[in-house]
Amino acid sequence: MKEAKGADPKRVVAVQMFSIGVILFVLGGVTLLLSDPPAMAPFIRRAFLISIGCIILIGLAFGIGGLLRLRRVKRA
Amino acid sequence: MPTDFLIVGLYLGLMFVAGIFFSRNIRSTADYFLAARSAPWFWIMGAVWATNIGFLHGYLAHGGAAYEWGLIQANFEWFQGPFGYIMSGLFFIAFYWRAGIYTVPQFLERRYGTGIRTIYSFAWIIIFVVTIAAEFYLGGIFLKNILRLPFWPTVFVLAFVVGTYTLLGGLGAAIMMEFVQFIIMMVGTMPLVFILLNMVGGFAGLKGVLLGEWGISPQYFSVLPDIHHPYGPGPWIILGQCLVTTLGWCAGHQSMVQRNLGARSIYDAKFGYVAAAIPKTLGAFLYVIPMVIAPVIFAQRGIFVERADASYAKLIFNLLPSGMLGLFIAGLLSAGLSSISSVLNSTSTMIVKDFYERFLARGKSDRHYFIAGRVTTFGVIAVSMLLVPVVLKAYLIMWLEQTLLAMVLGPFMGILMLAIFWRRANTAGSLTGFLVGGVFAVMLQQIFGINIFFQISWWSFVVTFLATVVVSLLTQKPRPERVDGLTWESDFRAKLGEVLSERSEKVAVKVGPLDRPPLRRPPWYLNIKYWATVILLVQVVLLLFFG
Repeated sequence: MKEAKGADPKRVVAVQMFSIGVILFVLGGVTLLLSDPPAMAPFIRRAFLISIGCIILIGLAFGIGGLLRLRRVKRA
Repeated sequence: MPTDFLIVGLYLGLMFVAGIFFSRNIRSTADYFLAARSAPWFWIMGAVWATNIGFLHGYLAHGGAAYEWGLIQANFEWFQGPFGYIMSGLFFIAFYWRAGIYTVPQFLERRYGTGIRTIYSFAWIIIFVVTIAAEFYLGGIFLKNILRLPFWPTVFVLAFVVGTYTLLGGLGAAIMMEFVQFIIMMVGTMPLVFILLNMVGGFAGLKGVLLGEWGISPQYFSVLPDIHHPYGPGPWIILGQCLVTTLGWCAGHQSMVQRNLGARSIYDAKFGYVAAAIPKTLGAFLYVIPMVIAPVIFAQRGIFVERADASYAKLIFNLLPSGMLGLFIAGLLSAGLSSISSVLNSTSTMIVKDFYERFLARGKSDRHYFIAGRVTTFGVIAVSMLLVPVVLKAYLIMWLEQTLLAMVLGPFMGILMLAIFWRRANTAGSLTGFLVGGVFAVMLQQIFGINIFFQISWWSFVVTFLATVVVSLLTQKPRPERVDGLTWESDFRAKLGEVLSERSEKVAVKVGPLDRPPLRRPPWYLNIKYWATVILLVQVVLLLFFG
């Protein structure tokens, strides 16, 4: 059996990176908006904000990285 | 509560949309079953760990066991798991990857012949279908208990979301979602351990209450307890579980291995597996240590827990504020969904590659098998859904899964070790060894009444190993095509040749320019052996503290 012409691996990774970034950023952002940090106990609030901040930042990094990779793949 | 419901709904919706968005890139069987062989090492790291963590092996079941038995449950995270990942990454994955296979049974066929491939693949397909049904059941029960959602509609929504992205996007979509789930579990649910330690006054405060006030045995804080421990005697954990079951799981579990087969290079496949030992080690802080602390919190707050495996859900429900609870539920759902998607994808790969392509539709076009993969994925979801109502009520099915695992893992480890490390192991020996070991495992369980899983695995491994050696020595040597490039010895010879030619090139540089580019090596900080050594040293330190 001859394998059909497959997808470009670089494009696959770029799309994955971009999608991961969008999911994490939107999920982190919406969770932060919907929750009520001032009502939380101080230690829980601190832990929650650090955790949600990390998710948003990771999402942002992956989203931008994925977008740049997608552009590079399209140009090539 | 509506906030948490919204967060969970948004999370499922985002995964659904991203899965459809990604699926537009999938065109061939290599794309569908091996993610276009594109995954870098960090994708593999996240995906392997997320595959390993599910409702069955993670927050609910392992957390429940930690609540009941203490820190011993961390031996999976601090000792066995990292050992299995590192050994598989260093010694086994390279052979699979180089053989250009889709499934582990395919490797066994290359080395030993068709019979062993069929038996091994068939056993794993049954185990996988039951596992998916059990994960759906636990997911439905979990959301029913915590968000008061109706059971069946919830199970259907979970099946629809995870089924859609796995069915359309194949391994690439599964790996992508597993990485998201890896981040949400690792970053989103990590705060709990700090919150709980803060509440009980740190580890010293916890020990003060449990050992001092409550008078609990110090073995509650031991990762490797003595041989009389009823749940996990230390020596048996090392022999049966670590050396056989966990290593067999890491090196022979199609879902775990398939992530590595989708890597963009042999280096990424190996390093991804070794690096997965880092999140595995940290996993103890997500669901083992919080559940060791949980009894104190429950006592402080007067919370009654009926069942150990419901303790994690009860803890977060009673402790966490709205919003944060939603994120935790998303994290727990991630564990189940990652497990389901990986097993689903692997089951369809094994059915198509090990049965459909060999026996039912030979020599068809690539597109034919690609579509067959999608149809099979749908079929597996349908069968698993039919099994959901009976999966935990009918003990027969769980018994079947446990028996098959005990039958498969010990014998598999025996023939796999010999396949790679002993050139003389042949078809007759491996088939006899596998069958004798499997029958011996069933006899131990059914006739001698041994129900400790890792004892069965260890003895069936020993019997398989001996039977394979004896029969191989009494029969003909394997043909060269069964061993060349598939054994450690041939690999060593090839590496020796590479080193010698590199030396001769260095000599040649002095004479004139080279035709081919010099060998590229990763920088020292990404050297697989350095990382493996550091991670294993961390395990030793953890065992010295908590052994």
